[in-house]
Amino acid sequence: MAEQFGKLPGACAHQEENLVLLHYGDLAGTECDTLRSHLNSCAACKDYLQDLGKLLPLTIKTDEPPQTFWADYKRELRHKLDDAAQKPRWRQKLAPLLQPRLVPLLATAAVVALALTFTLGQNLWTTNEPAREAAAMLEVLPVAENLEFFKTLDVLDDLELLEFMGSQGSAA
Amino acid sequence: MNPGDEELVASARRGDRRAFEELVERHQQRAYHIAFDFARDREDAKDLSQEAFLKAFTNLKNFDGRSSFYTWFYRILVNLCLDYKRRQKRAPADTFDETAKNEMEPSHQPQEPRSPDQQVWARQISLRVGQALDDLPARQRTAFVLKNHQGLSIKEIAELMETAEGTVKVHLHRAVTALRQSLADFV
Repeated sequence: MAEQFGKLPGACAHQEENLVLLHYGDLAGTECDTLRSHLNSCAACKDYLQDLGKLLPLTIKTDEPPQTFWADYKRELRHKLDDAAQKPRWRQKLAPLLQPRLVPLLATAAVVALALTFTLGQNLWTTNEPAREAAAMLEVLPVAENLEFFKTLDVLDDLELLEFMGSQGSAA
Repeated sequence: MNPGDEELVASARRGDRRAFEELVERHQQRAYHIAFDFARDREDAKDLSQEAFLKAFTNLKNFDGRSSFYTWFYRILVNLCLDYKRRQKRAPADTFDETAKNEMEPSHQPQEPRSPDQQVWARQISLRVGQALDDLPARQRTAFVLKNHQGLSIKEIAELMETAEGTVKVHLHRAVTALRQSLADFV
C-alpha cells in the first residue's frame, strides 16, 4: 500500500529503500527479481522510480575546469608540497607527542607529578630546614663570640674601673 | 606497466616525491569533483582537494595499509569537506552570499547554449538543490554525494565512511526521500 509523504506520494514503505538501490543499479539477485515483478503491479512504486529518474540527475552540478586550471592546480600543489617537506624538524619531532592518545597520558603524568610534589615533596623540603638553620647558626656563632669579646674590650677601656678592680683584688 | 597505488605509496614513503606526484596525477580529478560536490564552488573545491593531498603527504608515514590508499585518501578528503560544511553552517551570512554568487556563475554550468528561460530555470534548480543538500545531515549527504554524483559502490562508500553497508543504504534512502520532498516542484 502506498503511503503519502508530505508533498509527494511515496512508494510502498517496505520497497522504497530497494527502489533507490534499483535506481542506482545496486540491487541484484532475488531482491531485484521480486521488486521488478512488484513494479508490474504497483503504480505508486513505478511512479516513485520514475520520479527518481527525473529528479536525481538534476541534483548533479557538473564542473569541468579548463586545462589551464589543472596546470595551475599542479603548480600550486607542488609549491605546497615543497613547503610541507621543508617544515621545521622540531615540529615533526613534537607531532608524535601531540597525538590524541598521548595527550591524556601526558596530562595524567603531569597531574601525578604535581600531586607527588605537593605531598611527598613538602616533606623533603621540611627535612632540609634544620640543616639550613644549623648552617646559619654556624655562620652567626663566631660573630656572636666576637660581640662578647668586644663587650669585654669596652670594660678594659675603662682604666679607672680596671684600677679599682685591681685594688679590690689585691685587698682581698 | 604502470605501478599500482600501493607501490607508489611504498616509494613515496621512502621519500620518492615523483611517486607521490604520480598519485596526485591519478586522483586529482576525482578528488576535485568530490570536493566540488560538497563545496559547489571551484576555488573552495581546489583548496579542499589540495589540502587533502597535502594531509596525505604529511601523514603518509602513518598510513598502515589496512585499507587501500584510495579509501584512506578519500576518507581524508570527505572529512575535510564535512569540516568545511560545518564551518560554513557556523557562518551562514558569509556563505550565503558566496553560494548565491557561485550559483549564478555561468562558468560552473555545463557549456550548452540555453535560452534565457532555461538559464533562469537552471539557476533556480541549482539554488534549490544546493539548499536541499545543505539541509541534509552530514552522513546522509556524504552517502548521497558519493553514490549519486560519484557513482561509488555501496561497499566503497561503507569503507570510506567506516560503517556497515546496511547503514549506507539507510542514509542513502533517507537522503533521497528528503531531496524528493524538498524538490517536489521540479518533478
